[in-house]
Amino acid sequence: MRNEYLPKQAVIEKIVDETADVKTFTLRVKDKSGDLLKYKPGQFMMLSLPGYGEAPFTFASSPAKSSRFQISVKKIGSLTGAMHNLKVKDTVGARGPYGNTFPLDKMKKRDLLFVAGGIGMAPLRPVIQQVFKNRKSYGRVEIVYGARTPKDMIYTDEVKSWRDEADTDIHLTVDVPDESWGGACGVVCVLFPKIKINPQTSIAVLCGPPLMIKFAIFDMLKLRFKEENIYASLERYMKCGIGKCGHCYVKGKYVCTDGPNFSYAEMKKLGIAS
Amino acid sequence: MNRPFITREHLKVLIKVLKSSCDEFIAPRREHLTDIVFGDAKTGGGELPDYDGNSVISPRAFLLPQTEPLFEIKSARRSELAPIEDKRTRVFYGVRPCDIKALVLMREFFIEREFADEPYKTKMGRSTFIALACSKRCSAKAFCDEMGAGPVAKSGFDLQMRAVSRGYIIDIGSEKGEKIVGENKRLFKRASPQDEKEAKAVLKDFTKEPEKIDYKKLAKTMANDSVEPSVWDDIGQRCVICSGCVTLCPTCGCFSVVDRISGDRGERLRYCDGCPYAGFTRMAGGSAPFPLHKDHIRRFFEHKLNHDVDRYGTPSCVGCARCIETCPGNISIRKLIREAVK
Repeated sequence: MRNEYLPKQAVIEKIVDETADVKTFTLRVKDKSGDLLKYKPGQFMMLSLPGYGEAPFTFASSPAKSSRFQISVKKIGSLTGAMHNLKVKDTVGARGPYGNTFPLDKMKKRDLLFVAGGIGMAPLRPVIQQVFKNRKSYGRVEIVYGARTPKDMIYTDEVKSWRDEADTDIHLTVDVPDESWGGACGVVCVLFPKIKINPQTSIAVLCGPPLMIKFAIFDMLKLRFKEENIYASLERYMKCGIGKCGHCYVKGKYVCTDGPNFSYAEMKKLGIAS
Repeated sequence: MNRPFITREHLKVLIKVLKSSCDEFIAPRREHLTDIVFGDAKTGGGELPDYDGNSVISPRAFLLPQTEPLFEIKSARRSELAPIEDKRTRVFYGVRPCDIKALVLMREFFIEREFADEPYKTKMGRSTFIALACSKRCSAKAFCDEMGAGPVAKSGFDLQMRAVSRGYIIDIGSEKGEKIVGENKRLFKRASPQDEKEAKAVLKDFTKEPEKIDYKKLAKTMANDSVEPSVWDDIGQRCVICSGCVTLCPTCGCFSVVDRISGDRGERLRYCDGCPYAGFTRMAGGSAPFPLHKDHIRRFFEHKLNHDVDRYGTPSCVGCARCIETCPGNISIRKLIREAVK
């Protein structure tokens, strides 16, 4: 009997404070058997903390041969609140991987635009890492990252290091700047004029708050990105991750098993193009 | 060769045999003077070998109970968890064809799809289903015949009984059912031509050709937004979110999950949830992708009447009319269907 609802134990090896309310956990799975570590960029796992429950988190690190993976957690509810109180060597439950992946094959040889808002950089990180790992397989890379304030940006050192990659540009913006901020101000869309790729043949991948996705896609369509080439990683309330509990159900699809990554063309069909 | 046949006297013996073969004998019983409710009659008895009408709640209540442990939490602090397995074998006796069709759809959803739901699968694997075909319409509101679910089940049972004056004609629906008949040969005879004739006659209540529902047309109407928006406004206004429909619907299976902890030990439970509730899609932080109530109700109907036609080729409404009977706002899925295929 294989009870899909039964998580495996994972030990916290490292905790990094990304921002005031975001921590990145490096987890090591105790029992390497099973599929959990065979995840692909864009997929998610269910993290569980007995007594507090379970919630979906997208893998925030590129799949590696080790038994480790990372997730970034924003303190927003009771489970994430409890997670922020955890310490190194504490044990949590983990099961997965679930959901579909970003279209890495389709992305090959094409120019790419990544748009992330706040904690939305977490799901994009493994796919960006994967792209840079096989840099020659992909075209030009433009990364647009927006956050509320400079202090709300995550993976700051790593994001800066991406500037060194060939044929790549990083654009940062914040809603509310502080004295140290020398970059752009405003929503992510204000940076779109700086992008040097051909929208008609490029692929865009987004993750962020619903409003950001709404307006970013609106502007991308104006730039003539194709509907089927814009992908967004969606967030829904989920209790099972395996298409059973019904919470993420939308128009015949389950965001957990049919998603969480949908093209804008698919989102329109589902009536969730916001 | 004619189908197996069992007399009323022998049926009582068969029930005894079946009771001794399982841990729980889930059978219809009369409760609160009038209601038919499924319950375990293995030791307490009180089962009805035959009955009029239908049970208040379908046998779904035993396969997806109100609360059910998913696993044991041996230590919350250390995330030490241990599986819990429901080892009980069950015989479901006297299940109506509409509920049998619902079980066929639920099997497809919970067992056949990409990830099997282990607790449900385990229970189904250890269950035997004895259907009892209907000879009368159970209520004026029921429309199982229009939904292709009744009055006689086509599949999904191990044995099906059809009442005639001398006893019951038996349909064998599976190897399990064949085994029951084979092992209790002394209880079964062969149905006579007279019995077979009668079996057809008792369906007279249903013989008036039902208005055949065109599932594809139904799904298409729902998909194309051809239902007047005012219909959804009206339904949204009349729904008081009592959740009676999703509690009684034999094809509803949405659940939520909660941990019940005492000290460092406890269990993770799942419990029945329903899409009409405002918090059904609400995430941590408060954002809800479907904030409007009428959209919740619309989703309920669209799931059953449109999306499931795409997925299974048939709507996941079996016409049992439990939701119609229970709705304080008088919302009728049957009326909606009629409206949609008009």
